[in-house]
Amino acid sequence: MSRKKLFWFSCLIFFAYVAVAVFAPLIAPYDPYTVSGPPLRQPDSMHPLGTNATGQDILSQLIFGTRITLIIGLGAALISCSISVSLGILTGYYGGAFDGIVMRGIDIFMTIPLFPLLLVLTLFFTPGIFLVAILMGVLGSTHSVRVFRSQVMGIRNASFIEGARAIGSRDMRIMSHHILPNLIPIVTVRFVSSVLHYILLGVGLSFLGLGDPMVIDWGQMIEQAYSSGGFALGLWWWLIPPGLAVVGLSLALAHLGYSSEEFYNPRLEKNRY
Amino acid sequence: MPGDYITNYLLSLGNVLPKETLNEFYREFGLNLPLYEQYILYIKNIFAGEWGYSYQYSLPVLPLILNKLFWTLIILLPSTILGIFFGMVTGAYSGWKSGSKQDLTTFNIMIMIRAVPDYWWAIVAVYLFSYYLKLFPIGGYTGINILYSGIGVIDVLYHAFLPVCVLILSITAGNYYMMRNSMLSVVEEDYITTARAKGLPENYILWRHAMKNTILPIVTIATLQFASIITGSIFVETVFSWPGLGLLTTEALRARDLPLLEGIFLLDTLLVIIANLVADLLYPLLDPRIRTGADE
Repeated sequence: MSRKKLFWFSCLIFFAYVAVAVFAPLIAPYDPYTVSGPPLRQPDSMHPLGTNATGQDILSQLIFGTRITLIIGLGAALISCSISVSLGILTGYYGGAFDGIVMRGIDIFMTIPLFPLLLVLTLFFTPGIFLVAILMGVLGSTHSVRVFRSQVMGIRNASFIEGARAIGSRDMRIMSHHILPNLIPIVTVRFVSSVLHYILLGVGLSFLGLGDPMVIDWGQMIEQAYSSGGFALGLWWWLIPPGLAVVGLSLALAHLGYSSEEFYNPRLEKNRY
Repeated sequence: MPGDYITNYLLSLGNVLPKETLNEFYREFGLNLPLYEQYILYIKNIFAGEWGYSYQYSLPVLPLILNKLFWTLIILLPSTILGIFFGMVTGAYSGWKSGSKQDLTTFNIMIMIRAVPDYWWAIVAVYLFSYYLKLFPIGGYTGINILYSGIGVIDVLYHAFLPVCVLILSITAGNYYMMRNSMLSVVEEDYITTARAKGLPENYILWRHAMKNTILPIVTIATLQFASIITGSIFVETVFSWPGLGLLTTEALRARDLPLLEGIFLLDTLLVIIANLVADLLYPLLDPRIRTGADE
């Protein structure tokens, strides 16, 4: 399959996931939080994927789980990108002492291993899904600041910026109307790859038992299936579907990421036939 | 499920814990002091080699961690070395032949490996090889025969095989992508063209000329990978019940055993700092251009 077809195919899959998340209440046959049948039921016409140890419908959980997983991933990526883009533009554009202070702060921050810190912080605060998204976004934002900053430094002295300054544009306007549009390609690439990263991180946190106990997401489903007997009894319809859901979404996002990188940076594609 | 160890576990023993017992617990662990005093005490003790006492094991944290570190290294050392090696070789070759059929195939396979989280690879591996094919044990580090014959090296290696394979898979994919990118920029350099013009064989140019220069950015990343002992193996160890630092972390998280967690993360941070230092010291050995000052 050529890269272009793969790109549209991944787009299709990603938007299918989004559609499932948006229309979850219409698609799901049962309420995922209430008992809808006898526990550990095998798949049949009533429960296409059976029920879990407390008798909740697994298919409905899977459908509603899409919602939570996407909220965490997209939310964290949105927060992380807005922080890193604004910090990157500000430090790159102004430079000087402000740049120095922010960059040294980030240097110190980056020596701290991120994942353990995230674990401790989610443990410390009550882990609601929005808080988890904010925590991941804020902690993860430092890694991209440097990338955006160097881009801004590259165009800071370009003649079109000088021209804008000459006609009396204020700094805010230059940053938002002249510099930001030039960052859009690299921001898009970063955004897609960080959505993927944060989705896997969020599912991973839930898998370790740090998820929000008030909602169901795929990580918690895998964890429950793994720890309360679904695995040992060979109930594959409990364990495999959430895992495959993660894998499908993550593959689609990975291909979207690489494709958009090539789209904006044709040099990567140069050697291809 | 937030909360500290006491509200989580001690109180769940029937909610009848007498007030004196609670206060005694708080007093013994110094939890009745103000926060800043606790912190000063903690820092002082760290430098004295006292990393605190684990709530759930009632043991000093440091020996506990060092004991588990050994088991983690058993699976992590071979998999990191092999993973970096495989990633570098395939990445270098793929970048060298960029655009070819082999490159595209490897690239797409690696995207797939990387997109799938390692805990899912681990679960799939256990399901396939242990549960259905029964080729490997489902988890743990040794068989039941440990009761009669003690720990056998072969038996431990047999149990370590699947976790090591899964770790190799994820480490390889990560290194592959960086190595390929690094190689893509080197291929266009003039000295490669010069070497070609001299009529040197392709393989010689790849391994002797190009490889030397692509390796530099990888060194930093590779040394940092050695340091990410906990992050690297937390999921894999949890799925395989391998008794290392990763599983210890998961257990400590579930029990809200904060002193133990603090100890583990302190060790992790120290390792990252050491790894950064090692990378800085390795650089001049690999790249003579960085050697300045003292030599001249």
